[in-house]
Amino acid sequence: MASDRPVREAENRLERFNGDRERLLAEVERRVVARILASARSESGGPSRDETSSLEYVLNDVAFNEIKRLEATHDKNGALTRWRDLSRRLLAMSDAEKEAELREMVRFYGRDVVGNFDPRVYRFATGVGPSILGALFSPMTSFREGLAALKNLDARIHPDGELELARACAERGTLIVTPTHSSNMDSPAIGFGLLRAHLPPTTYGAGKNLFTNPFISFFMRNLGAYRVDRRLRFGLYKDVLKEYSTVLLEHGYHSLFFPGGTRCRSNIIEKHLKLGLLGTTVTAYKNMVREGMPNKRLYVVPATINYRLVLEAETLIDDYLAETGKSRYIITDDEFSRVGRMVEFFRKILAHEGSVIVRFGRPYDPFGNDITDDGESIDRAGRIVDPASFVRGADGEVSDDDQRDAEYTRALGRRLAAVYPRLTVFHSTHLLARVLYDELARRAGTRDIYKLLRVAPSDCAVPLADVIAGVDRLRARIAQTPSYGAEHPGYVQQSSQDKVADAVKGLSTFHTRTIVEQRGEALAVADMKLLYYYQNRTAHIPAGDVA
Amino acid sequence: MSRADVVGIVGAGRFGTALGSVLARAGRRVLVWSRDEEIVRAIEATRSCPRLPEAPLPASLEVTGDPRRLASEARLLVMAVSSTNVRDRARELGNFIDGSHIVVHAVGALASPNNERVSEVMQQGLPTLKIGVIAGPALPADLALGEFSSMVVASAFDEVVAEARRLLNAPPALRVYGSNDLAGVELASALAGAYSVALGLCDGLGMGAGPRAVLITRVVAEASRLGTAGGAQARTFAGLAGLGNLLVRASDRSADYQLGRRLADGVVSADNHRTEGARAAIAGAELAAHLRVRMPVLEGVAAVLAGKAEPREAAALVGDQVASEE
Repeated sequence: MASDRPVREAENRLERFNGDRERLLAEVERRVVARILASARSESGGPSRDETSSLEYVLNDVAFNEIKRLEATHDKNGALTRWRDLSRRLLAMSDAEKEAELREMVRFYGRDVVGNFDPRVYRFATGVGPSILGALFSPMTSFREGLAALKNLDARIHPDGELELARACAERGTLIVTPTHSSNMDSPAIGFGLLRAHLPPTTYGAGKNLFTNPFISFFMRNLGAYRVDRRLRFGLYKDVLKEYSTVLLEHGYHSLFFPGGTRCRSNIIEKHLKLGLLGTTVTAYKNMVREGMPNKRLYVVPATINYRLVLEAETLIDDYLAETGKSRYIITDDEFSRVGRMVEFFRKILAHEGSVIVRFGRPYDPFGNDITDDGESIDRAGRIVDPASFVRGADGEVSDDDQRDAEYTRALGRRLAAVYPRLTVFHSTHLLARVLYDELARRAGTRDIYKLLRVAPSDCAVPLADVIAGVDRLRARIAQTPSYGAEHPGYVQQSSQDKVADAVKGLSTFHTRTIVEQRGEALAVADMKLLYYYQNRTAHIPAGDVA
Repeated sequence: MSRADVVGIVGAGRFGTALGSVLARAGRRVLVWSRDEEIVRAIEATRSCPRLPEAPLPASLEVTGDPRRLASEARLLVMAVSSTNVRDRARELGNFIDGSHIVVHAVGALASPNNERVSEVMQQGLPTLKIGVIAGPALPADLALGEFSSMVVASAFDEVVAEARRLLNAPPALRVYGSNDLAGVELASALAGAYSVALGLCDGLGMGAGPRAVLITRVVAEASRLGTAGGAQARTFAGLAGLGNLLVRASDRSADYQLGRRLADGVVSADNHRTEGARAAIAGAELAAHLRVRMPVLEGVAAVLAGKAEPREAAALVGDQVASEE
């Protein structure tokens, strides 16, 4: 499948999305309602009385959760009254009324989730020039500055890795791009990464909180993003969301999931993936096999998004160290929500050549099998395998087994988690942070961040010559061990001295807190938390004689 | 009969033949694959397996030398080969099966040469992900004679456990229980071999019933610690695959137990690592060091096997360490 063909613009299947939208929504509604009704009917007549399958339970679960959520947010829009009313009426409702209510709910949440794709916006965003898009991120008062800083945004986001194979897979089947997740800037970053790699745009689920930024929201709404409201935790909403994703894949819409779920707070390469929507990959493929289309393939493309500096680093690491990651699962007041910080991001971070690198790995099939260059699934021994056989029973028919499919998805997740370190790209900031952290840890006799946070500032200076030598050694280790990742390909020839100078510049100017500063012939760590954050990108490299 | 209802057995060794015999007597269709043409011919001609001569085989038990036939006629396959052969056999079988097959192994040891769990080795050689293990205190001779036996089948896939239980359960001769603790059952089963060496040493040294009981109790505790550190469930080690396996192997019918006794008697030299239990002891001690889990009994056995300690010294040391640490 991979060939010598010249790279051409990938087919943008999202161009037909708006025409498909009502059909997709109707399909989602039909499937979700049918499944719930079938489950409810088997509950009422079957021997196993699973109360959670009853229609009454499903509706009550929605009402209970919505009331709880709206009461907590002091809803003033009257929605609370609607849910309380439903809760009161529920016991007296006939089966037909319950079914009608269910249909209405599924339709409502479907419309809440569904995305949009406006080809005009896409052409504007990608064709007219990313500089315009970038400028829109900034307030009008900063228009000129933003425009100047973002003139060459496309040069700042650099795609790398198995691009030709990904392009070939996009022609043969449907891509599911699965990147690491460290910033709310990931969506636009990988969007431009795909564009620069001549890969097609994808639809993707974005947290509803991201739509509060008017500029980002405008583009996300019109470039194929659909809304995921993480506050809605009841089964019906999850069913609608998963079905929507499944239907999109079955209809050939390239998709993007962040398997890590929310942004990684620590900046450590994700090891434990939440998987979530990734599970719809197996379901979609199973449905396609059942419909007689086993050769319509799905390809899961691992990717890492590697920033020289991360916009929200300060909030994320504070949150991580405060161990409040769970309670603040949805952070709404970080740098992403402050337009001024975003302007800074574009001006200072993206002004640096190659400051964001997106590296794509070899795709897997939905079961975590490797694929050949021709897009065929192969097992660990390198033999061609029929992926359809994974969802067929002994009689050759497709069988439904949610637990089996979840296990397949976990197997896929393990493959992704295992390959992410290898796909990691290190910027100068990561290398310097790691070397400094190693040296301070060596002196303190511990790598425990909480203990290192108590080290006196006077003990946090490291001679510049030692740092440069340490960076030399770290670079050598990385070069010898591909499973650790790789240096930024654009800066492999850069001397360690220049690399350190570049990192100091980055780590001392962007964040509100200076991380590292030069004092004479030494580098002083001024912010241990942020140093820890940036060194964490190398955390999968065993501690050795680096510093 | 649908291939969903056929049991395929890989290997006509003692366990595979005994299991096939029990299942065939219970009315299942069983097809045994052996690479050894002589064994295939012998079974077909004499209804007896050269490796399990004491048990006549039922007429309905089928045998073949063709792995393609095995794969096409049976969906559930039981890999009943030695730990030294499992890698090659999985790779060979993998040429004929697909993602719909279920493969359960009955190897109560770690796979050589790298001492990996057998399911991990099978994963590298087979195209299917639906892999499991069956383990427990079921000796081939007991099975073949229809004595009461119980085993546990474990897999991350509920379907594997359910199908294996449906097809391998043949009461009263064999009852099969289920678990989702694949790693735990594999590790418990492998360590049971290692601890059989310890019990052989204990008995060979003439230690009494009290110390023997203490030893058994302690090995269950320390195996549970290692298992938990490795992601397994502690209770698995007190179940059929762990304690059950240990108790049945601590008899003269077990090569591991006999090795322990011979080491105690000074009949064999310390470098004798030929049994699977001896290899599991060495590997388990290495794993314990890697996971930083203290395992005095296993380390003692490994030290004796490596010639670093005399059996009586090791026993005394183990007793001291257990007393001071627990």
